[in-house]
Amino acid sequence: MSWFAKYFPNAVTMKSDFIQATGETLYMTLITAVVAGILGLVIGVGLIVTQPGGILENRIIYNIFDKIVNLCRSIPFVILLAVIAPLTRLIVGTAIGTTAAIVPLVIGSAPFYARQIQNALAEVDHGVIEAAESVGSGPMGIIFRVYLKEGLADIIRSSVLTLISLIDLTAMAGAIGGGGLGNLAINVGYSRFETDVTVLAMLIILVIVFAIQLVGDLLARRVDHTA
Amino acid sequence: MTNEAIIELKNIDVTFHNKGQTVNAVKDVSLTVNRGDIYGVVGYSGAGKSTLVRVINRLQPPTAGTVVVNGQDILHLTPRKLRAARTKIGMIFQHFNLMDSRTIADNVGYPLRFRLSKKNRQEKVAHLLDLVGLSEKANDYPAQLSGGQKQRVAIARALANDPEILISDEATSALDPKTTSSILELLKRLNKELGLTVVLITHEMEAVKEICNKVAVMESGEIIERGDLVSIFSQPKKPLTQDFINTATQINQALEKIYKQASALHLSDHQQLVQLQYVGASTDAPLITELYKRYDVVSNILYGNVEILQNTPLGNLIVVMSGEPDKLQDAWQYCQDAGIKITHLKPTDSEVA
Repeated sequence: MSWFAKYFPNAVTMKSDFIQATGETLYMTLITAVVAGILGLVIGVGLIVTQPGGILENRIIYNIFDKIVNLCRSIPFVILLAVIAPLTRLIVGTAIGTTAAIVPLVIGSAPFYARQIQNALAEVDHGVIEAAESVGSGPMGIIFRVYLKEGLADIIRSSVLTLISLIDLTAMAGAIGGGGLGNLAINVGYSRFETDVTVLAMLIILVIVFAIQLVGDLLARRVDHTA
Repeated sequence: MTNEAIIELKNIDVTFHNKGQTVNAVKDVSLTVNRGDIYGVVGYSGAGKSTLVRVINRLQPPTAGTVVVNGQDILHLTPRKLRAARTKIGMIFQHFNLMDSRTIADNVGYPLRFRLSKKNRQEKVAHLLDLVGLSEKANDYPAQLSGGQKQRVAIARALANDPEILISDEATSALDPKTTSSILELLKRLNKELGLTVVLITHEMEAVKEICNKVAVMESGEIIERGDLVSIFSQPKKPLTQDFINTATQINQALEKIYKQASALHLSDHQQLVQLQYVGASTDAPLITELYKRYDVVSNILYGNVEILQNTPLGNLIVVMSGEPDKLQDAWQYCQDAGIKITHLKPTDSEVA
């Protein structure tokens, strides 16, 4: 490991900091993924079924979902972090720290995920929906047994995309007090001119991203029987 | 076939509003299909046939009219009862509409979930796949199948709920002629063996000719002609119907070739180009010989075709008749008395009889 000490002179002394930061990043990512995943899935499915021509067409609900998603996605995440600090304080009790970062992360990523889900489900052939209706399937049957089943490969691909962009967001949240690898890279590595710390934090994030991409691709290929 | 009505559409209107434009897809159409019928609905794209039949299971709610299927008023059912009613109306589609993420067995078993136990479901699926001749494909995915095989799977799925009616919406339009025949044969067999009532939407009169006992012709949202197959084929009243029939019997193609060569034929005053159409028993009489013996009229056959529709032969001949003018008249009279329809063709006619 002498080469490691040579190229990463500062990082090599910060083993426990890196372990903790990686844990924080994974923690923020995981909790946000679960909460935003459920929210995004519900809103995405809601958009698909209430859209004009959808199985539960409803102009009002569709427009509400659509506008909320557009609005949230239009706010730059760094500004969102600051703007919703009072809300974060209300929910978590503080606006600083890893858990507090989850609130803006959810609001920042759920609408993005909802749009991804909507796009994935829009790929499901309308004829297949019609066939399911013709054998007596109701809206719930069509959502769970047609949309989510037929769209699964695309849903997995969208989830990978969302997860990766979520890690990007955790780094940003970390930089302004959320902890994690982003915090380490900016507030330690960058601020103290310890470039090797920044580079190592980046490398760890890259490994996480590649791992997610790899697992996602494998899963998607496994459920995809279109070709 | 009985005379018990299983589908009764009355005064159906379907109007679409799209960006300020109003389209009357179906205009005041009434249609009755009896139990055991194979009812063909023919028309070109955009004639409104698909829209009309989607009204039967309310995939397309009509703007006006009444729909009674199996004695049930389809338009006034609660969503739950409508779903129950739909299980008795199977449907197959031009693009098969199978679920790519499910195996063949799971596609066929899709409608049976929550209705049958796992064991009963597997047995039923095996039986259905056997019925359509695809037992060995149970664990394949749709992407691995040919078009004809996919349509067989779709038929098996449509039959899973033991429906009494099967709606076929252009189900053979994406298939090659040979596969089309095999699918039509299957539908006919199901009609016979299961007593399934079939409503067959198509733009190909050939398909109707092969299996239907009744036919309705649609144009611009209206049924312009309807009746049993043999009478429609032997006595079409509307030009569009005639056009469909001529395409199906390939007379159009034959006439086109004949007209192209007509100048080469050099018809004299003693010669006449005629089309003879005959139905049923008259096909058995040795007509051409008879005409020669009785009237000295020689008939040169340019094209001949006999269709067997519902066990009734329907013949078409295009001939050049040669003889003395008055003898020709007598010969034509003789044909008409024998129940043969005569159409005099002029090579310059663009409109085909």
